[in-house]
Amino acid sequence: MYAIETENLVKKYGRLTALDGVTLNIPEGDCFGLLGPNGAGKTTLIRILTTLIRPTSGMAKVAGFDVLKEKAGVRSAIGVVPQAMTSDLDLTGLEIMDIYARFYGMGKKERRERTDELLSMVGLRERAGDLIATYSGGMRRRLEIARGLVHRPSILILDEPTIGLDPQSRRVVWELLEKFRKGDNLTILLTTHYMEEAEYLSDHVAIIDYGRIVALDTVEGLKKAIPQKDTMELTVSNIDMAKAREAVSAHQSVGSVAVNEGTLIISVDNGANAIPELVDKLRAMNAKVTRVTLKEQTLEDVFIHFTGRPIREEEARKVSFLLGAGVPRQWGK
Amino acid sequence: MNRFKAIFERDLRKFIRNPLVVAMSVLMPVIYLVILGNSFQGELKRLPVAVVDQDNGPGAEGVMERLSALEAGPRTVEVIKVSSQGFAMEGLREGVFKGVVIIPPGFSRDLARGSLAEIGLFLDNAETIAAATVQSAIARAVSEPGMEFVGIREERAGARLRPIEIYRKIDYDQTLIPGVVIMAIFLGAMTTGAFNIVMDRFLGVEESYFLTPLTKSDIVVGLVASGLLITTIIAVVVLFFSSLISGIYLWRLLTVDGFLLMLAVIVLSTLGLQGLMFVIMGRLNHPRIVGILGGFMNVIFFFPSGAIYPTESFPAWLKAFAVVNPETYSVHALRALMFKGAGFGAVKGDMAFLAVFAVLAVIAGTAAFKREL
Ligand SMILES: Nc1ncnc2c1ncn2[C@@H]1O[C@H](COP(=O)(O)OP(=O)(O)OP(=O)(O)O)[C@@H](O)[C@H]1O
Ligand SMILES: [Mg+2]
Repeated sequence: MYAIETENLVKKYGRLTALDGVTLNIPEGDCFGLLGPNGAGKTTLIRILTTLIRPTSGMAKVAGFDVLKEKAGVRSAIGVVPQAMTSDLDLTGLEIMDIYARFYGMGKKERRERTDELLSMVGLRERAGDLIATYSGGMRRRLEIARGLVHRPSILILDEPTIGLDPQSRRVVWELLEKFRKGDNLTILLTTHYMEEAEYLSDHVAIIDYGRIVALDTVEGLKKAIPQKDTMELTVSNIDMAKAREAVSAHQSVGSVAVNEGTLIISVDNGANAIPELVDKLRAMNAKVTRVTLKEQTLEDVFIHFTGRPIREEEARKVSFLLGAGVPRQWGK
Repeated sequence: MNRFKAIFERDLRKFIRNPLVVAMSVLMPVIYLVILGNSFQGELKRLPVAVVDQDNGPGAEGVMERLSALEAGPRTVEVIKVSSQGFAMEGLREGVFKGVVIIPPGFSRDLARGSLAEIGLFLDNAETIAAATVQSAIARAVSEPGMEFVGIREERAGARLRPIEIYRKIDYDQTLIPGVVIMAIFLGAMTTGAFNIVMDRFLGVEESYFLTPLTKSDIVVGLVASGLLITTIIAVVVLFFSSLISGIYLWRLLTVDGFLLMLAVIVLSTLGLQGLMFVIMGRLNHPRIVGILGGFMNVIFFFPSGAIYPTESFPAWLKAFAVVNPETYSVHALRALMFKGAGFGAVKGDMAFLAVFAVLAVIAGTAAFKREL
């Protein structure tokens, strides 16, 4: 059975098509990363899956429940960490956890135990009695993750869980997610526009752009599917460059080789493994290798390949200059 | 039930974390009392006055003519001829009449004899302004020159008005107290309950609540309940303090039954306004809109409620609004309970209206609430 399945989901906002026929199947226990630039439709998809908005057309099932017809079922099966920070600042961490646990009808003892366990796991036990207004961004994220898990959901959905966090806090969140995942056999769906995050956490990655899924595979599979390889640069001396080029090209994982004065620019599969072999080979020809650099193929290359642009190309959000920020979503455009 | 209680508790916790709001909710209505109590003047119109003619002589007829002239000319009063004094007094107690003129038996005879001819005037002094207006208008009418039968011969023999106030002496400040309590209820209803939805929406916090199994009615009823508790407490505190500063000792004035009835009126009024706020604000998403609407609605509901001016003086269209304005019934009921020592019988109509209004408003508020982004 799939934890999440969607079929041809479409969501239109007036003339804008935010989701343009999304079909996904996420198996149980999977960690699924949804990678996309700003405005790709990630949040829109998540909001449909979590019953917050209705699709214009199409079907979606979460934990076997239809998001339109069995909302209550969906809501008790999922834990969600929305993109925006959504904890009331004028409550304490403990209060938030307890209130949410009550929304799911948990008894007093169970609530206390679960809250305690989760707050310790996310490292907030000492600060549990403080107002959330006094938490740092990373602490608030961790609290929201704990909040999302309070009722032991089978599916955890996170919308950009590490946005705005420094690299250290980001890593803490990743490790937390790993830990929870192993413990509870969770299915995780997360959106991100951090490559490392998708790469580190996800079993499967889907790239979404302009409301369409443009690629879907494991991280490895995605990398294999594109022609770009690792790029190695070897600076050598004491050897005829034509001969050096010939020797390097003979290696089985090497694709094309270009020469730029004393430097060989090599397109290579699995470059890290090829370095020692290539260096040995050149040394055996009495060459001196003075410098090696390797630019490994990343998910970013995959992304550029499928979308035609790097992911960090952010479009400035247009806000009506008359109304300013903080006006109703419908008006602010 | 658990979910509803969680919403209820969440809201209470958030409220007490904001002591400034608590203090202001109490202080502002009390300050209103002081300001309003000292700043309102003006002419009233169409005050219903019952006339009981027990004389049936020519003198009484003359008085009736004068009163009719008053009705046709400056329109200060609306004269209603009533045959039974008991009926007239009951009307006064219920606020149907703002004054009762009694022309006693033998009035014509006294007038003819040139001895002191007196008319009795009973006033509803729970509404000071109206009472004062009725009194001066009628005094002017009956002593106007040209009334042949009023002692031209001898000054002493003129018809003299002897006002009899039917309740204990009430100052103008004090008559405003029901209005001030209603204002406290309005402010409370506006800043609790539905307002939390607007704030949550504005801050984007609602999203995470909508992700849980909370139902529409969990949210609405939970917030209405917490708002009800908070507002009721505020209203009672305001009632207490505004009474105190205008020299009323509630614990002496009210019986336990009277207090419980007042509490019931406060609760029903609050509930109705809470529901109404959900209907009006349930879909708003910016607190600034609430600010504008709140100031507007306060005036719209408060002034036509009879808290300051009697509703009888309004033009027909405003009167029609006063009839459906829940605050009209709250003010009327509170005034009756506070100053007239009235029992359940005198306010049951008000309470019935408030109860029906409350139920309808909460149902409509729940229906209007959108549990979706
Ligand atoms: N309420 C709305 N009304 C109109 N348009 C909307 C609304 N919500 C989203 N959109 C539009 O739908 C598109 C997809 O938005 P969405 O929030 O799903 O993007 P996203 O992938 O989550 O982006 P980000 O990485 O910035 O969070 C955008 O073009 C956005 O402007
Ligand atoms: Mg988003």
